[in-house]
Amino acid sequence: MTEFLTHYIEPDWIAHFLVAAVHCGLILGLVVMAAAAFTWAERKVAGRIQDRLGPTRVGGRFGWLQSPADGLKLLAKEDLVPAEADGPLFRLAPYVSFCTSFAVFVALPLSNDWVAQRLDASVFFLLAVAGLEVFGVILGGYASGSKWSLFGAMREAAQVVSYEVPLGLCVVIPVMVAGTMNLVTIGNMQSGWFVNWMIFHDPFMFITFWVYCACAMASVNRAPFDLAEAESELVAGFLTEYSGFRWSIFFMAEYASMLAVCLLASILFLGGWNGPVPITSWLGLTHDVHPVAGFVGDLLGFANILAKGVLGVIVMMWARWTLPRLRIDQVLTMCLKYCIPLAAAMFLGAMGWTYVIRGGLSDMDEPTPVVQSGQSVSLANHQEGGR
Amino acid sequence: MEAINWHSCFFLLFAILSCGFAVAVAVSDNIVRMAVYLIASLAAVSGLFFLAGADFVGAMQLMIYVGGTLVLLAFGVMLTARGPLVKIATGGGQWVLGAMLGGGLLVILLQAAFSVEAWQRPEVTPEVAQGEDLATAAPLGMGMMGIRVDQLDETDTVKRGGMSGYLLPFEIVSVHLLVALIGAAYLARARRPAHLVQSGDGGKGDRRPEGGDR
Amino acid sequence: MANERSQAELIEQDIQTDELLINMGPQHPSTHGVLRLVLRTDGEVIVDAVPHIGYLHRSGEKVGESVSARQFAPYTDRLDYLASMNMNLGWALAVEKLLGLEATERAGCLRVIMCELNRIASHLVAAGTYGLDLGSFTPFTYTFREREKIQNLFEAVCGARLTYSYIVPGGVTADLPDGWLDQCEAFLEEFTPVIDELHAVLTSNDIFIRRTARVGVLSREMAIDYGCTGPVLRGSGVDWDLRRDGQSPYIELYKDYTFDVIAPIDGHYRNEAAYPAVPFDAVVGDSWHRFFIRMIEVVQSMAIIRQAMDRYRKTEPDVGKPIKTTEKLPAGEVYLETEAPKGQMGFMVIGDGTKTPWRVRLRSSCFSNLSVAPELCRGHLMADVPAIVGSLDLVLGEIDR
Repeated sequence: MTEFLTHYIEPDWIAHFLVAAVHCGLILGLVVMAAAAFTWAERKVAGRIQDRLGPTRVGGRFGWLQSPADGLKLLAKEDLVPAEADGPLFRLAPYVSFCTSFAVFVALPLSNDWVAQRLDASVFFLLAVAGLEVFGVILGGYASGSKWSLFGAMREAAQVVSYEVPLGLCVVIPVMVAGTMNLVTIGNMQSGWFVNWMIFHDPFMFITFWVYCACAMASVNRAPFDLAEAESELVAGFLTEYSGFRWSIFFMAEYASMLAVCLLASILFLGGWNGPVPITSWLGLTHDVHPVAGFVGDLLGFANILAKGVLGVIVMMWARWTLPRLRIDQVLTMCLKYCIPLAAAMFLGAMGWTYVIRGGLSDMDEPTPVVQSGQSVSLANHQEGGR
Repeated sequence: MEAINWHSCFFLLFAILSCGFAVAVAVSDNIVRMAVYLIASLAAVSGLFFLAGADFVGAMQLMIYVGGTLVLLAFGVMLTARGPLVKIATGGGQWVLGAMLGGGLLVILLQAAFSVEAWQRPEVTPEVAQGEDLATAAPLGMGMMGIRVDQLDETDTVKRGGMSGYLLPFEIVSVHLLVALIGAAYLARARRPAHLVQSGDGGKGDRRPEGGDR
Repeated sequence: MANERSQAELIEQDIQTDELLINMGPQHPSTHGVLRLVLRTDGEVIVDAVPHIGYLHRSGEKVGESVSARQFAPYTDRLDYLASMNMNLGWALAVEKLLGLEATERAGCLRVIMCELNRIASHLVAAGTYGLDLGSFTPFTYTFREREKIQNLFEAVCGARLTYSYIVPGGVTADLPDGWLDQCEAFLEEFTPVIDELHAVLTSNDIFIRRTARVGVLSREMAIDYGCTGPVLRGSGVDWDLRRDGQSPYIELYKDYTFDVIAPIDGHYRNEAAYPAVPFDAVVGDSWHRFFIRMIEVVQSMAIIRQAMDRYRKTEPDVGKPIKTTEKLPAGEVYLETEAPKGQMGFMVIGDGTKTPWRVRLRSSCFSNLSVAPELCRGHLMADVPAIVGSLDLVLGEIDR
C-alpha cells in the first residue's frame, strides 16, 4: 500500500502518514468493534448459560444495540478521581493498558499479508507488547489509593509475570517447528487441509496448544484466573475506584487482548487464515490467478481467522461463566508446577520430533520456511534457541 | 520543497523522550513516579531500536526491561512504598556526587564516541550497502550455541576441540545468578516469632501455602 | 522472662513488612449483608480478622417487650429473613408453650411443610451465594430460580414472598388454597434433577473442591466450645439436630417423620452412596463439608415435605386460631430452641400476666457461628475469607436482631 501511494502522492511523507492513519484506523475499528461485539456476546453467552435471555430490548431484536447504549451510559457518568489517588497516574493507567493491547494488533496478521507492520520477529514483538498491558493494571491499582486496588495490582503483577514464561515457551514451540518468527510465514505454512495445521503437526504440539490455552487465559486475566478483579474477594480489584469512561477503556483493553491471544493461537496452531478445507485454492482465489481473486481469497481468510478468534473468545466466556475462581497460590502453583514443566517437556518433545521425523503427522509440505530476509530470521532463531 | 528526513525526526523524538524521562527519574522524588518515568524512558529506547530496524532487539528491550524487570520493580515498590519510603528527596551532597559521576561518564562516552573515526563521517561503501560485513549479533548467538563462526577456518582438530563457544561461561554466569537469587530469597525470608506462627496456624497444623498443592 | 527476650530478638530479625489493615465490609460484595470484618493481613495472609456487627440492629428484643406476643410475629420475619417461616415457628412454639396451647394436627403438618420448604429456600440461597463467593456466578442463578418457585408457593399460601408471618402462636393464618399440594409436588419433581446439576457445578467441581477442602477446618471440640449449631456443627462431625434431639413441643412436630440427620460420623455419611462421593482432599469440619451438608439436607427436607403432605391429606380441616393481639401471657418463663436452617434459633419469653412479655430474648445461631470466623480465617489467604465466611451461612438480620 505504501508503494502504491508513494507512486501517486507527491511528498512521500504524506503517503506514509496516510498509510499509517489508515492502518491505525482499521485496527482501532477492529478493536472497538470487537469490544462492543464481545460485550454483547458475553451477556448473551452468560444469559444462555444461566438459563435466561440476556439483553433483548435495546435495538429491537437480540439487544444488539446494548453495547453502544452501555458505552453512552459510561460516557455520561461522572468522572471520579478519588481524593487519595495519585491523579496523573490514575488518569494515565487505562490508556497504558489500551495502547499496549492496541499495539499488539500492529504486528498481528489478519490474513495472508494483511498486517499493519511486517516484522520478521513479529511473534516476539507480540509477546513483548502483550506483556506490557500489566503496567496499566499495576499503575491503576497503585494510583487508586485503595487497598483493594493495591491487592489487585499485586496479584496481577505476580500472575502475569509468572504466566509469561509458560506462554512464551508454548509460543516458541510452533516457532521452532516453523523455523521462523514471522507470523505471516507461519500462517502460510499451514495452508491446505486442516491436517496441515500446527496443532496436528505432532502429539507434542497438540498438548502444547492446550497449555497455551490455559496460559493465555491466565495472562489476559480471564476467569477462572481473574484474580486481579476477583469481585468476591477484592470488591473489584484494580478497577475498584474506576468508573465511567476510564473503566470502559480498561474494559476494551481486556477484550482486545483476549481477541489478540485468540488470534495468535489461531495463527500459531489452528492454521490462521487457512480454512479446514482448501476452498480458496480450489476456487482459484489466489494472487497468482488475479489480484482481485487474491483479494477475495484474503477476505475469506480474514473471515476464517476472525471466526477462529471469536470462537476462542467464546470459549473463554464459557469458562468464565462455568468455573469458580482459583486462589492466588493455586494459580501460581499451576503455572510453576504444571504449565512450565509441561511446556518445557513439550518443547523437548517437539524438538526431538522435528529432529527425527522432520515432517508432521500428515506428511505435510516440507516445513522449510520461506526465508524473506535471511539474516534477521536466522538471527532470531539462534537467539531464541540460546535463551 | 525540501524533503524532511522523517527518520531523523523520529529519532530525535524518541531520543528526547528517552533522555527527558531519564532526567525525570533523577529529578522526581516520588518513587512510584520514578518507576513510571523509567518505564517511559526504556520504552522510548526500544522505540529507537525499532526505528533502527532492529525489531528483535527492540522487542527484547520491551520484554526484558520494560515487561520483566520493571514489572518486578513496580511490584517491589508497591510492596514497600508506604509512608516515609514513598518520597525520596535527593540531598545537596548527593546532587553534587551524582553530577560528578554522571558528568564523568558522559565525558568518557562522548570522548569514545567522537574518537571512532567511522562514526564521524559515515561512508556508504558497496560492502555496507550489500549488508555483507554488518556487525550483527549472529556470531555471538552462534557462539552461545557452541559454533565459533569467527574461527570456522581453523583446521587443527585439537584447537577446534577447545573452541566450545561461550556456552560454558554463559552457564557458569547463569548458575551464579541462580545461586544469588536463591540466596537473596533465603535472606529475605521473614522470620516470625514462634507464638505468632502458632496462632497463625490456628492450631490446625496445616499452613495454607502448602494447602494449594493438592 | 528469657522466653520474652528471645521472642523480641526474633522480631528484630524479621524483615519489617507492614501489616495491612483492611475493612472488609459493611459494603463488600461477599459479606452477605452488612457484616464488617476488619482484616489484618501480612501480604495476602490473614493475621487476624475481627468481625464488627450491629449495622442491622433494630432492637428486636426490646420491641418484643413492647408489643404483644401476636404482634411480635411479623418482627420475627425480619430476623433470618431468608427463613422467616422457621423464625415464625420458633416464636409461635415458645409462646404456645407459655400459654399451654397446642396447635391442631393440620396446623402442625402445615408448619412442617412450610419450615422445610423454607429450609430448602434458605439452603439454596446459601449454596448460590457460596458459589458467588468463590467466583462462580452461574449456580447462583440456578438456585435463585428454584427459590423463586418456593416463593411462589409461599405467596399462594400467605400472600408474601419474603416476610410471611404465616406461622403464628395458636396455629397458622390460613389453610392451603386449592391445588397447592399438587403445585408443591410438581415443584419437588422439578427440583430433584436440579440438585444433581448443582452437585455438578459446585460440589464435585474440581476448582470448587480445591477452594473449599481443608479450608477453615473447624474441629469438633471447637465447634462445641463456640456454641456452633446447625450445618456448621454437623459439618464438624457432631450428630446433633434438634428436629430429632430437641425439646417438646418442637420435637412433637417431627416425631413421626423419617429422615436422616446429615453429619459425617467417623468421616462417613449415612446412606452416602446416594450422594456424590466425598473428595479425597476434604476433611471433616472444612468448608466443603459444611456446604455438602446443606446440599444433602435439602434432599432430606424434600422427603419430610412429601411425608407431611401425605399426612396433611388425612387431617381434619382445622388450622387453629391465631391468638388475639390482646392475649395476656401468664407469669412464667419459656425458652425453646428450634432447628432453623442456619442453626439453633432460641426464643425466650417471660410473661408477667400482661399482654406484653416482660422479657424477650433471642438466641441467634449465626451469632455463635460467626464467632468462630476469626479462628478459622487466621493463617489463611485473603481469598479464603469469603470461602470461610460464606460456608458459615450468616444472615446479619439474625445476628444484629
